[in-house]
Amino acid sequence: MIRYKNTFAMLATAVMLTFGTSGAMAAEYTISVWSGGSGPNDNYRIDAIKLAATLLEAEAEVLGEDLKITIEGKPYTQWDEFKQAVTLAAEAGTAPNIVVAGHEDIAAWSQSGLIVPIEDYVDLDSWPINDIYDNLMQISSFNGKVYGLPQDAESRPFFFWKDYMRTIGYSDADINALPAKVQAGDYTLQNVLTDAKKIQDAGLVKPGYGFYPRVSNGPDYWQFYTSFGGQIENSDGKLVFDKAAMTKFYQFFVDAVALGVTRKNHIGTPWDQWYGEVANGKAGLWHGGTWHYARYTKKEGQKDFFGNIQFTLIPAGDAGGKANTLTHPLVYLLTKQADDDAVAIAAELVKIASEPRINTLHAIKSAHLGITRSQSSVDLYSGDRWAREATKRLLPHATAMPNNVSFGQYWEIMWGGLEGSWTGQKSVSDAIADVETELKTTLGDKIVIR
Amino acid sequence: MGNSKHLGLYMLAPAFLFVIVFFLTPVLLTGVFGFTNMSTATGITGGSYMVSQSSMQALKDRHDLSEIAKKLSQVIYTIDEEGLNAAAQEGVDAGTLAELKAGFLGQSFQKRRAVERAIKSLDNRPSSTRAIKKLSALFERSVLNIRYDTEVDLFAAIDKFGLPLSVAEKTAMSDVTYTGWVFTTDNFKRMISLPDTMTTLINTLFYVFVTLIVFNTGFALVLAISTHYMDAASAGFFRSVWLLPRITPPVLYVLMWKWLAWDTGFLSTVLGPLGFEPRNWMLDTPANAWTFIILINGMVGASMGMLIFSSAIKAIPSSLFYASEVDGANRMQQVRHIILPQLRFPILFITSYQTLSLLTSFEYILLATEGGPGGATEVWALTTYLKALSNYAGALEYGYGAALALVLVVVGVFLSILYLKLFDFKTLTAPPKIE
Amino acid sequence: MSGNYRKWPMILFLGFMTTPIILMYVYLFLDTVTNSPPGSMIPNEFTTEHWRFLWETIPGRPSIWAATWNTLLFATSTTLIVLVVSSAAGYALSRLNMPARSFFLGSIMVLHAFPTVTLLIAIFLILQMVGLYNTLIGVILVKASLELPFGIWIMKGFYDTVPWEIEMAGIQDGASRFQVWTKLVLPQVKPAIMALGIFSFLAGWSEFILPLVLAPDNKVQVLSVYLAALIADDNNFDMALFKSVGVFYVVPVIILFVFFQNKLMNIYSGGNKG
Repeated sequence: MIRYKNTFAMLATAVMLTFGTSGAMAAEYTISVWSGGSGPNDNYRIDAIKLAATLLEAEAEVLGEDLKITIEGKPYTQWDEFKQAVTLAAEAGTAPNIVVAGHEDIAAWSQSGLIVPIEDYVDLDSWPINDIYDNLMQISSFNGKVYGLPQDAESRPFFFWKDYMRTIGYSDADINALPAKVQAGDYTLQNVLTDAKKIQDAGLVKPGYGFYPRVSNGPDYWQFYTSFGGQIENSDGKLVFDKAAMTKFYQFFVDAVALGVTRKNHIGTPWDQWYGEVANGKAGLWHGGTWHYARYTKKEGQKDFFGNIQFTLIPAGDAGGKANTLTHPLVYLLTKQADDDAVAIAAELVKIASEPRINTLHAIKSAHLGITRSQSSVDLYSGDRWAREATKRLLPHATAMPNNVSFGQYWEIMWGGLEGSWTGQKSVSDAIADVETELKTTLGDKIVIR
Repeated sequence: MGNSKHLGLYMLAPAFLFVIVFFLTPVLLTGVFGFTNMSTATGITGGSYMVSQSSMQALKDRHDLSEIAKKLSQVIYTIDEEGLNAAAQEGVDAGTLAELKAGFLGQSFQKRRAVERAIKSLDNRPSSTRAIKKLSALFERSVLNIRYDTEVDLFAAIDKFGLPLSVAEKTAMSDVTYTGWVFTTDNFKRMISLPDTMTTLINTLFYVFVTLIVFNTGFALVLAISTHYMDAASAGFFRSVWLLPRITPPVLYVLMWKWLAWDTGFLSTVLGPLGFEPRNWMLDTPANAWTFIILINGMVGASMGMLIFSSAIKAIPSSLFYASEVDGANRMQQVRHIILPQLRFPILFITSYQTLSLLTSFEYILLATEGGPGGATEVWALTTYLKALSNYAGALEYGYGAALALVLVVVGVFLSILYLKLFDFKTLTAPPKIE
Repeated sequence: MSGNYRKWPMILFLGFMTTPIILMYVYLFLDTVTNSPPGSMIPNEFTTEHWRFLWETIPGRPSIWAATWNTLLFATSTTLIVLVVSSAAGYALSRLNMPARSFFLGSIMVLHAFPTVTLLIAIFLILQMVGLYNTLIGVILVKASLELPFGIWIMKGFYDTVPWEIEMAGIQDGASRFQVWTKLVLPQVKPAIMALGIFSFLAGWSEFILPLVLAPDNKVQVLSVYLAALIADDNNFDMALFKSVGVFYVVPVIILFVFFQNKLMNIYSGGNKG
C-alpha cells in the first residue's frame, strides 16, 4: 500500500495544478510527444505516454475532477532529421512537450535552455523513479541535475555464428564458455581477427564477411576505443583523446581490411542487406545491438536464434584493454513551455510511463532492456529469454557515452578519422595526426590530449 | 515618359519583395552568423547566464579562478527567516512554516533532495510535490544551475551569495557563464588550420569543372545536336528519357544508381560470371566513387543544357541548313559553321548558370556516397550542410556552417562577375527603343 | 533533314548511352511488384503488398493522399507565384526604362551563387518572425523566391525577342505600356510561360530539403519527405515499400512531362542578344 501513497500525492499535484486551488473546471491539455529513431517496433515510446494519460485521467476522475489529456505523437524514423526538427521547433516556440531522444542530447539542449530538468517537477524519492537503475539515472543527468527519465536501455553485444565456430574447432563447451572468456579478457579482438580469417579460409563465408561490423556511424564504435583502454571523459567532466588507444582502434579495422576479413568499402552497405546477411549465417562474427534480436527473429525469419548465435561483450582489444559494451538509453525529456502547468502534466505522464509494467511493453516488443529493478518480476519481462540473458550478461558491464556539450563534435571527428583510415584514404598515423589537429582547433581546452 | 519608369518599378516590386525578404535578408544574416559560434548548444536566439559544473570547469581552465569556481559549485539550501517570510507571503500554510522553523531553522542542506526530505518529514507537509518544490526553492541560497537573464542579475545573486567579484573576475565570469552565442573569427582560423579543408576545396573544383565540361555542356550539346538530326519521334523519345533523371526525386534517382552499383546490384550480378568479384562498385575506390558521382550529377545536369540548346537550334532558320547542303557541307561542317556560332550565348549561359548550381549542390553526393569513401568525394557544399544542419551526433554548428557558406558565396560572386563580363553584359541591357 | 544525313548512327549511339537509364527505371518498377531477393535479376512472383500504402495508412505517417494533396498544392502555388512575378519583372527588365536596370539584372545572376541550403537557418528565423514556420504557405513563399532569379532571366530573354514593332503599334493605337504588356506582349511569350511553368512545377514537385526543414509537421508533409523517411537507417529500412512510393511519386510528373514535353523545348528564346 505504501507505494500508492506517492501515487496519491502525485495525483493531488496533478489535480491541484490542473484546477488551481478552486478546482471544479474541466481542464484540457494537449501534450505532444516526438520520438527519434523509432521504427515499427518502437511504438510504445509514444503509446506508453498514451497509457499514462489514461491512468492520470482515471486518477483525476476518482477525485471527482475532470481532466482531459490528448496525446499527439510523432515518431521520427531518423535521428538527424528529428534533432533538426526539435531544435528548430524549440526556437520557434512550438517544441513538443515531451521528446524521446538520446541521452547525449541533454548537454547541448540544457545549455540552450531547450529542456527543463524533470527533477523540478517530480519527487525523485517517489515510485517508480526510486526503482530505476542508478546508472541510468546518472546517464539522464547533466551538471548535477536530473533532466529526464530513461525510456529504455540496451546494450551492444558481439555475435558469433555457432556453426562456423564449431567448424573451425570450437567444441560446444568452448562456445558456451565464450561469454565468460570474453569477459575475463582471455578472448580479445586479435582472436576475432584470427577466427574470422579461419572461417573465411574454410570457405564458410564469402571474403569480407568474416568480421562484419556496423555499416554506418554509431555509438558502437566507441566500444572499440574503450576495448583498447581508451577513456572518453575524465572525472573532471573533460573529454579525453587517448592517442594510443585511438591508434590501436583504427589499426584494428585497418588490419581487418588487410587480412581480407572485412571489406574496405563496407561502410555504406545498405542496412536491409546487412540484417538479412547476419541473421542468416552469411557472416561469421559481427556486432550489433540487443534490439537486433527483434529484427533477426521477426523480419529476417531467424527461427532458432539461441541455437545458431552466441553473444558476448565486445572483447578487449589486447591484453591492456577491457571487454565492454555500450548502453545508449533514450530518455524522456521535457521541453521549456510557456505554460508551466503543461510541463507538470508532461512530467507526471513521463513518470507514470516509467512504471515497470508499462515500460516492459516497450522493452519486450522492441527487444530493449528494462529500466527498473522490479521489471525482472514482471512476467512478460522475466518470461523473455533474450531480455533475461542479455540483462544479466551485458548490462552490468555497460558504459555510456558522456553527457558533454562538445561530445558531438568529438564524435564526428573520431568517425572522420576511422573512415579515412578504414577506406585506405589515409594511413593510421596520418589519420590520428589529422584528428589531433582538428580536435585542437575545434575544441581547444575542452579536450585533454594524451 | 515618366509613366514607364514608374511602371517598371511597380512591375519589379513583387519580385523585389520576395527576393529581399526570403533571399537577400537570409544572405545577410548568414554573413553575420559566419562570425559567431552559434550551435545547437548556444541556441539561435539569445542566451542566459548560468553557473554550472561545466562553466566552473571553464573558469578554472581558462581564467585560473579555481577558488571562486569551487565556492560557486556548491548547492546550499538554508532554512532561514528570509525564506520563511517569503513563504508566508506566498501563502504557505502557517502550521507548516511554524513546524519548519521549530525543527530546522538555521540548518543548511547540500542537496535539493535533502531539503525536500526535511519538508516531507513534517506532520503538516504540503500534500503535493509541486507545492514542496515551490517551498524548497524559497530556501535556495546558492547560484548553481540557475538561469539568469542578464549578467547584472547573475552578479547580484553571486553578491548575495557572499562572494563579491572584482571587475576582472566579473568579465571572466560572464565569459564562461553565458550560454548564448558570441561574435568570433575563430571559424575562419579553424577552417584554415584544418587538414581536410584543402582536400575539400580541390574536390569541389574537380567535381564542378569535370561535371560541367563533360556533361552539363559537353554531353548536353551532343544530345541537342544528335536529336536535331533525328525524326521527331526518336528525338522526342531520347529527350524524354534524358529528362527522366531531372524529374525523378533525388532520393529515388540515387537509389536506382545504388541498385546498379551495390554488391548485390546489377553490375555485380552481370560481371560475376565474367570473373569479377561482387563488390560495392560505387564505394570501391575513390576513382569509382568519382565516376559515379559525376555520372549521377551529369545525367541530371545534361538535360537542362539539352533543352536550352535544342530550342536554340530549333530557332535557327532551316533555310540555313538547306543552303549549306546545296553547298555540299557535311554534318560536321554544319555543326561547326551553323549550329555552334548560334549557340554561343546559350553555351555561355549554361556554363555560368551551371557552374554556380554545381558549386552549391550536394544533394546527390549526400545521398550517393555521403562524401565517402573516407571523405574522398566530400565537396564544400556538402561539408557545409553536414556541419550546419545534419550530422549523426546532433552537434549542429550553425556559425561554422555559415562561415563555410560565406566562402562559397565569395567564390560564386567572383565567378558570376567573371561570367557577366564574358557574356558581354552591356549588350544584354540595351536601352529600350520606346521612350 | 535530307536523306544524306542518316539518322541511324545517331540513334544507335544515343541508344547505347541511354540503356542504363532505361534499365534502371524498368527494374525500379519491377521491384515494386515482385519479391525478388537482392542479386537476382529475374522477377519471381507478382505481389501488390508493396503498394499497400495506397489503401492503408502506415502507422505514424500521414495518409499518402494527404501528402499528395500537399505536394500538389505546394508545386502549383509555387508555379503560379513564379509565373506572375517573373513575367512582370522580366518585362520590366527587358523593356522598360528605369534606373539601375543593369544592376538589377546583374544582381539576379549573382543571387544564384548563394548556396540555398546554408541560408536555411536564416530563412527559418525570418519565417518564424513572420509566423509562417511549419506552414505550407511559408515553404511556398520561400521556394518561389528561390526560383525567381531563374524565372526572371528566362522571361527576360524571351521578351528580348519580341519585335519592338508590336509594342510601337500598340502605343500608337493609344494603349498604355501596361496594356501593351498584358494584351500584346504576353500572348507573344506564351510558349515561354508554358515552359517556365512546367519547370517550376517539376522543381516544386521534387523539392525536398525546404519542406523537410521548414515544415516538419505531419499535417503539411509533402511526398518527398514522406518518401525519404521510408529508408531511414537501422531498423526502419523497407526498400520495396520505398520504391513503390517512389514510383507513385514520379508517375504523375512523367505523365505531365509526356503531355508537355514539346512545350519544354521552348525554354530558350534564341534571342538573348538585346
